[in-house]
Amino acid sequence: MSQLIWNGLFVGSFYALIALGYSMVYGIMKLLNFAHGDIYMLGAFTGFAVLGLAGGIPASMSLVALLVVLVLTMLATGFAGVAVERVAYRPLRGSPRLAVLITAVGASFALEYGMRVAAGPNPRVFPVRLGGESFEVLGARITVSQLVLMVVAVGLMAVLNAYVMRTSTGRAMRGIALDHKASLLMGVNVNAVISRTFFVGSALAGAAGVMAGAYYGRIEFLMGFVIGLKAFSAAVIGGIGNLKGAMLGGLVLGLLESFGTYFLGGEWRDVFAFGVLILFLTFRPTGLLGERVTERV
Amino acid sequence: MNKRRSALLGAALATALLTSACGGGLLDSGGEEESTDGPITLGMVVPMSGSSSAIGPYMQNGAQLAINEINADGGVLGRDLELQVEDEACDPQSAVAAANKLVSDGVAVSVGGYCSGATLPTLPIFEDAGIPMIIPAANSDELVDQELPNVFLINGTGSQQADAAEAFIESEGASEVALVNDNTSYSVNIAEATRDRLEDGGVAEVAAFESVTPGESDYSANVNAILSASPDFVYWTGYYQEGGLLVRQLRQAGYTGDIMVADGSVDASLVEIAGADLAEGVYATMTQTPDTIEGAETWIQDYTDEFGEAPGPYSTQAYDAVRVAAQAIEDAGSTDGEELISALEGIDGLDLFSGPLEFTDEHTLSSGGFVILQVQGGTFALAPSAS
Repeated sequence: MSQLIWNGLFVGSFYALIALGYSMVYGIMKLLNFAHGDIYMLGAFTGFAVLGLAGGIPASMSLVALLVVLVLTMLATGFAGVAVERVAYRPLRGSPRLAVLITAVGASFALEYGMRVAAGPNPRVFPVRLGGESFEVLGARITVSQLVLMVVAVGLMAVLNAYVMRTSTGRAMRGIALDHKASLLMGVNVNAVISRTFFVGSALAGAAGVMAGAYYGRIEFLMGFVIGLKAFSAAVIGGIGNLKGAMLGGLVLGLLESFGTYFLGGEWRDVFAFGVLILFLTFRPTGLLGERVTERV
Repeated sequence: MNKRRSALLGAALATALLTSACGGGLLDSGGEEESTDGPITLGMVVPMSGSSSAIGPYMQNGAQLAINEINADGGVLGRDLELQVEDEACDPQSAVAAANKLVSDGVAVSVGGYCSGATLPTLPIFEDAGIPMIIPAANSDELVDQELPNVFLINGTGSQQADAAEAFIESEGASEVALVNDNTSYSVNIAEATRDRLEDGGVAEVAAFESVTPGESDYSANVNAILSASPDFVYWTGYYQEGGLLVRQLRQAGYTGDIMVADGSVDASLVEIAGADLAEGVYATMTQTPDTIEGAETWIQDYTDEFGEAPGPYSTQAYDAVRVAAQAIEDAGSTDGEELISALEGIDGLDLFSGPLEFTDEHTLSSGGFVILQVQGGTFALAPSAS
């Protein structure tokens, strides 16, 4: 039982990192960025490329090397996210929401098949793998690598929370989410803040990509597709537009998958996850923690 | 408004007429390609991309080696053989598109087929076109159960593989067996067949029967479910990509019992994905790889000289498929589908790597020829305790 909970939390932390990007962008632009899952894939391949360039790394240094690669990848994917926003979404700023949604799907395909052309259709194995000894805590088997990755994920989420709550950019983000036009009138540089939002969200997804590549070992150009859908479900479950909701939704989805697989069987895993999404959309569309809806006076 | 409507209608009618003419024309050209000179084309649908992409080149090169040898010997009926390879990507939709392309390009025989789930929908396509299929790798019983006259399998079937698996499991003294599949035709077939045999045998018990979703990275929930049944033997009947991840995650979760994989997981990529240290000692049920056949050293050398790399799983089966096709065309004296099918049924004793060939009534091999392999030092080799 405790093993189920730990597994669920571990998978859930990946979902949470990616769901944060979805929530942030939705909150600020009311756009469902379907290309976000592919930023995760981009992060994994960037990490793969950087580690490949670095050459052979002794096993004792693997954790340090991974942290360095993590930072580099976060920068790279952050800029990639900003580029996607500039190219695909900014020209459509005034268009109806459907047009931007379709563009997001197009951007997703472009990223996926662009990576297929660049890196080939076959799956690759990450050169640095995290293995590690494990120890028992309350009946659950926890490996050191899992613990490290969880700590990194929680750390990133805490930093994001501080960024959004305590800095002026964060305040600007929350302001734009509340009322776009009023923020413009108040002198907020909306374009710059939106770019920064995309940067931060994509950096988090890139970090998740590198961690997934290091932990699971196998990366391929379509790996962002399913996890993008799951992260979107997580964001909806927690309340889209709500950052704490995205974190909670990710963890909840991970736990649901873990328990669902245990009780229903492995092949029902995706059915269970998306079934819960449908239930939430039907009965509580604003999610667990509620959507940040514009207040009209 | 009226003018625009009638213009649109006219355009729609014209398009419909054109495409129907095109469709009819394509089909016609496929069937009438019974030219009596020029090369005979053999079609091959194998995974060249995607989850099983490592195997495609092995099969393509094996077939090409056979074709080069036959052409050097004067060809078949005085004509050269030619290979046309299309990609199935281990996906039913891609396989159907590939098969349709081969049919419209006028192949005489199909010598491909690796993923059973992707090969199954191509069977009626080749049957409608009257093209016989000699399938070197795909071996789900579902292919046999279709009972189509043009389908011939030269790899041991799922039932035969389950027989070999059951024999090995019982000889290893395992008592609690977990069977894990990936929900595709090939995988479920072997898992169910093995489960039935184990239950009938009464020696070992099926502790868990699990399915995983292919294409994912995290199988911790499945691993948890498997381990909670406390098995001492796990048999994975899917492909190498998920197999590598499962082996790694099972070992990392603390499973110390035996792990065995089915022939779809036999490839160096399994060891690479799982990590060489964690994949050590993993067993496999497999028909034959070139290094496990006695006396195949010259063949391996020829292959390596020709293509610059060593052969891999299913190279020999693809090579044999081409030889069977060539023999059938020679016996039949033409490339007509019906005559080829009779010629194939009439083959008696053609020497293949798996032994002398004679098809059963169901167009399968009379004996599976499965052996047990084991990962030793990072590669698959014959298991020392194999019966």
